[in-house]
Amino acid sequence: MSNRLRRALVDAGGALVFPLIAILISFVLGALIVLATGNNPLTAYSALVRGAVGSPTAIGRTLLGATPLIFTGLAVAVAFRAGLFNIGGEGQLYIGAITAAWLGVTLGSLGALSIPLVLLACVVTGFLWGAIPGVLKARFGAHEVITTIMLNFIGINLATYLALKPLRTEGLVPGTDAIDFAARIPFVGLGLGRANYGFLLALVAAVVAYLLLWRTRRGFQIRAVGLSPGAANYAGMGIGTNTVLALAIGGAFAAIGGGVEVLGVYGKMTIPFVTNLGFNGIGVALLGRNHPAGVVLGALLFGGLASGAQEMQFSTDVPLQLTNVLLAVILLLVTATKLVELLLGKRARALAGARLEKGLG
Amino acid sequence: MDEIFGAPGQLLASTIRNATPLVFAALGGMFSERSGVVNIGLEGLMLISAFAGVVGAFLSGSAVVALGFALAAGLLFALIHALMCVTFEADQIISGTAINLLALGGTGFLMVSVFGSGGTSPRVEGFGEVPIPLLSSIPVVGPALFSQSVLVYLMYVMVPVTFFVLFRTPFGLRLRATGESPEAVDTAGVSVGRMRYYGVALSGLLASLGGIYLSMGLLSAFTEGMTNGRGFIALAALIFGRWNPIGAAGAALLFGFALAVTFRAPQEVIPNEFLQMIPYVLTIVALAAFGGRAIAPAAIGKPYRKE
Repeated sequence: MSNRLRRALVDAGGALVFPLIAILISFVLGALIVLATGNNPLTAYSALVRGAVGSPTAIGRTLLGATPLIFTGLAVAVAFRAGLFNIGGEGQLYIGAITAAWLGVTLGSLGALSIPLVLLACVVTGFLWGAIPGVLKARFGAHEVITTIMLNFIGINLATYLALKPLRTEGLVPGTDAIDFAARIPFVGLGLGRANYGFLLALVAAVVAYLLLWRTRRGFQIRAVGLSPGAANYAGMGIGTNTVLALAIGGAFAAIGGGVEVLGVYGKMTIPFVTNLGFNGIGVALLGRNHPAGVVLGALLFGGLASGAQEMQFSTDVPLQLTNVLLAVILLLVTATKLVELLLGKRARALAGARLEKGLG
Repeated sequence: MDEIFGAPGQLLASTIRNATPLVFAALGGMFSERSGVVNIGLEGLMLISAFAGVVGAFLSGSAVVALGFALAAGLLFALIHALMCVTFEADQIISGTAINLLALGGTGFLMVSVFGSGGTSPRVEGFGEVPIPLLSSIPVVGPALFSQSVLVYLMYVMVPVTFFVLFRTPFGLRLRATGESPEAVDTAGVSVGRMRYYGVALSGLLASLGGIYLSMGLLSAFTEGMTNGRGFIALAALIFGRWNPIGAAGAALLFGFALAVTFRAPQEVIPNEFLQMIPYVLTIVALAAFGGRAIAPAAIGKPYRKE
């Protein structure tokens, strides 16, 4: 084995230490909760796995659940590489969704040709929306954690207003008009149930994010600002510009996620709309160590849990919401550096933690 | 104007009712953040306490037991946050986000386990209004301010108490110092970790008062996700009030007024969705105007590791 390969494997192994411990502990806790509800954890967990990957339909459901999370996970990861915490995925996704719901209907007569146009519009609105906290930080020093949280509520309210007032249509569920079937993202078929080609788009987005961050000059600058703002500034890379760009690019990713949900899954924006995809994107990004490949894996895990939960609720009487508890516990533990040290000793923390702390600094 | 907003007294009363949970949570966030621990989990702390209070009332029929349940739940979740942030040196923002998701998922899970179905819990006996003699008979202001739940009166008291504790006691001095300069506190022989545990624990207890007021002061039942962003508005009030109890309470009142108007204004004038944005827009404006970073406790967000 070449030295380079060995180093890459050790690195990858190190990167997995935190997520694996978090997942393991959350499943042990989950088993205790299942026991407390008077069910057998083995039965519950085997139903969970069956519901996640046990059949083509189950796999399709997992892919369907993972798709928006890849987008919102990338939204967090790209910003994170610049040392910024984007909690605004939820609002950015809503902005993308309402853009797609509006333009999808307007351009629907173009058929499949409208799909790239609509998604491009999502990129633009998401980019502009994501740039707001970037400008507020670069120009006024307003902390992005607070502004992105606030912008979540503003974005959700704005999208809700548009869907309920100007764009509202007659129907049982309040919301916008349905988009023509020809202008929606088609189903994959292959027995995968309702899974659509949005998943492939998400994979493409992950590759784009990777190329952008590691193969372009701008990506190098963004990562440099994240690793050491002072040094990056000294080297003449504008911190302000890179801050704005990292958050704006993140916003664009989350917004495409919203667009894909509308074009691929719902065909319109209803109120209430899907919730927590932005927040779960944070967990996905952290599990994936803010690397696009990791984001895909994290999203598949989250998607699989959500899909498996339905089967678990069906065949035991463990409520569906258990998986939300599991996800929260995973998220809670995934950055707990001292916990890893306590469990595995200082060397494990040094191996696993070095890169994490740089990302979080 | 009266047709739009009701009698001035009603609008004032509604402002107070909407501001009360925000004031409690903001004061709680103050203790935590002054000790150097960001607490964006206020939303979750309120939610879990709102639920625990209703469970307590459901099981016992007693408001006192309900309050005990709420305080215990708020404290428990706050201690989880402290354990993660202080002992395990986890990222405070992530831990707070996780606390919010844990509360949302946990209450959803427990609704099914305890009450057999999700959505809304059975109605419980709430905290009734207790008019204060004499004060409540002042025209207009009296019924609005002094014919409220006991928790509202407690809120009036907690604002000066928090101010006094933070700025006039040795404990408050240490707590503030821990948020500003943990190294100095450590050198002085005070445990940074312990001060932060106190700060976060107090935030849990205060946020739980806000939570139980929502479920048992305003509604007399628990509804999934009923906090609906109020924890974040409280956080906004804290920032808007520049980490000062009086300022935060003032900001919470302003946001409470915005919420009161939201519930009353007719849709044709200003759509409800835009009114609901007001606290969030105000916060962003305030952050931009004040320059954000300069005001927060200096060591906020950073785990402290003794070298």
